[in-house]
Amino acid sequence: MTRTNQPLARLFIYIALALFTVYNVLPFAWTIMNSVKLPKDANARIPRFVFSPTGENYSELWLNITPDAFAPYGLALILIFCLLVVICLSANRIPAPNSAVYIGCIFAGVIVALALPEVVNTAEFYDYLINSVIVTVGTLCVSLSIGALAGYGLARYRHVVSVYILVIALAFRSLPGLALVLPFYYLGQLSGLYDTHILLIFCLVAVNQPFTIWMLRSFFMEIPREIEEAAMIDGAGRLKSFISVIVPIMWPGIITTGLFTLLLAYNDFLLARILTQINWTLPVGIAQFTGGEDPGHVTLAAAGSVSVTLPILVVIIFFQKYLIRGLASGAVKG
Amino acid sequence: MTRGTFSLFVGPSVFIMLALMTLPLLASVVLGLHFITFRNLDEPLWIGFQNYQEVLGDPEFWDSLEFTLIFIAIAVPARIVLGLLFALLLDQITRFRGVFIAAALVPFVMTPVVGTLIFRDMFDRGGPYWYWMQQLFDYRLFMNSTTVPLLIIFHSIWTATPFAMIVLFAGLQTLPQESLEAARVDGATWLRQLWHVAMPHLRSLFIFIGLISIMDAYRVFDSVFVLTQQNPIYDAETIMYYNFQVALSFGRLGKANAMSVLTVLGIFVVLIPFLVMTYREQTEEA
Repeated sequence: MTRTNQPLARLFIYIALALFTVYNVLPFAWTIMNSVKLPKDANARIPRFVFSPTGENYSELWLNITPDAFAPYGLALILIFCLLVVICLSANRIPAPNSAVYIGCIFAGVIVALALPEVVNTAEFYDYLINSVIVTVGTLCVSLSIGALAGYGLARYRHVVSVYILVIALAFRSLPGLALVLPFYYLGQLSGLYDTHILLIFCLVAVNQPFTIWMLRSFFMEIPREIEEAAMIDGAGRLKSFISVIVPIMWPGIITTGLFTLLLAYNDFLLARILTQINWTLPVGIAQFTGGEDPGHVTLAAAGSVSVTLPILVVIIFFQKYLIRGLASGAVKG
Repeated sequence: MTRGTFSLFVGPSVFIMLALMTLPLLASVVLGLHFITFRNLDEPLWIGFQNYQEVLGDPEFWDSLEFTLIFIAIAVPARIVLGLLFALLLDQITRFRGVFIAAALVPFVMTPVVGTLIFRDMFDRGGPYWYWMQQLFDYRLFMNSTTVPLLIIFHSIWTATPFAMIVLFAGLQTLPQESLEAARVDGATWLRQLWHVAMPHLRSLFIFIGLISIMDAYRVFDSVFVLTQQNPIYDAETIMYYNFQVALSFGRLGKANAMSVLTVLGIFVVLIPFLVMTYREQTEEA
């Protein structure tokens, strides 16, 4: 829409957004501070913003060895990480397709991550991280691919059947989490898949599918039909025109939906708690710090909170660039 | 689109939902008609609609429903209005957009249990908000039956506004440029552009956000669990929290399942206007 050019109005807009930003991040910033405090600083009567920081909480959370023993490995990890980033950034100069370089780097990163516990004595929290990543990525892939197909179908098929499907999906979605506990546990025991990633992934997909198809449907509804009709006149079938015409236009919508699916899968506590016994995910792992009167508990819980939140924040910030670029390019002008 | 193509597109998604979600839904309905506790899990006793009678005659149930409805009535409109406001502000600028969006995502991204704990720490004795309120307004915040419900509502606005903002902002970026151009040529002010071009375009997104928000607000649990610290004196029980108590504290699984069924029905009653709108949208000839 039309942008205002009045300097005063623009100043006011920036101030409002800046205040909104402080309000949004302050609690997390406070937690980051708590996570590098000693218990005596964290439990002070008057909030302390100045203190001498410590990494003790993190090493207690992530490692079974002392920070000094971990230092060389940590250094190696940082070097490997930097190397991969440099390779990715200079992908254009490498005589191989860009996508091959990216996939290679991701693959190398995954292997390093999986091999780490063999070399270093990591604490259980590291295993939770790996489990979380596997479950989240799996859920994301399955959920988005089948959800995009369904969302598109629902946006284009104007018939009562679509309404039935949407309403049944709503009924599933509105079922309280508590009602899922016993049946899912039973399903897990019955299928012999209890405590596996596969079961957790499919249950998360099923629980989040209503949300996914509703959201993708409302994005697809905004695309004029003429676009794929033109492609179909050119001789492409429904599926082909969907994949080659609609999906490229819809990337912003699909990424936005993916973002929310990612969050739902990564943050899920209840299902992960019921369907796993030892293969915990991060939210289940952190829940053990939510109670207790031990003064060290505040700082350890803060370190855990930051550890759980940071990976997802990094992913979101990374994707956000895509989100905005996709949106700003005006691909959906129609 | 023909029926055959439609089934192919929708098939996989519908299959997974039906395969995994039918059992929980049916189980709630069936178990809701039985007297069942942790002691007689193997041989539930059929008691028909007695669980429902008991729930509907239970003053605590009505108290929790009342708080849930107040919660919805305040939190949902607040999220949507604030979300639209900040989406429109973001739409006005280009610099630092990424920073503002990234920051707004922080409360939303956090694992709910973690986010609520963090939020509570801010308002607890020794937390920054508690301290600043005391320093600036000489107000000492005590957790009581007025402040705790307010904190629960405030927390939900804090976490959910970014969701509305991002979705609406995404919608604003896909406005039909021809209509905007035409409006501009006709000399339409910003307000008129908003009302006549943007609002109709965002309609299905409003429906979507409203729908998700109402359902989530109806089922709010984590924040109540953490902020009340399971202490009944704060008088801030929501339906889901009371449901949880009936199931785990009192061990009345049948009654809890009856409440689950009532919850599903309740949500549908709340959503009737949205459903009618969706029905029209889906069946109108386009």
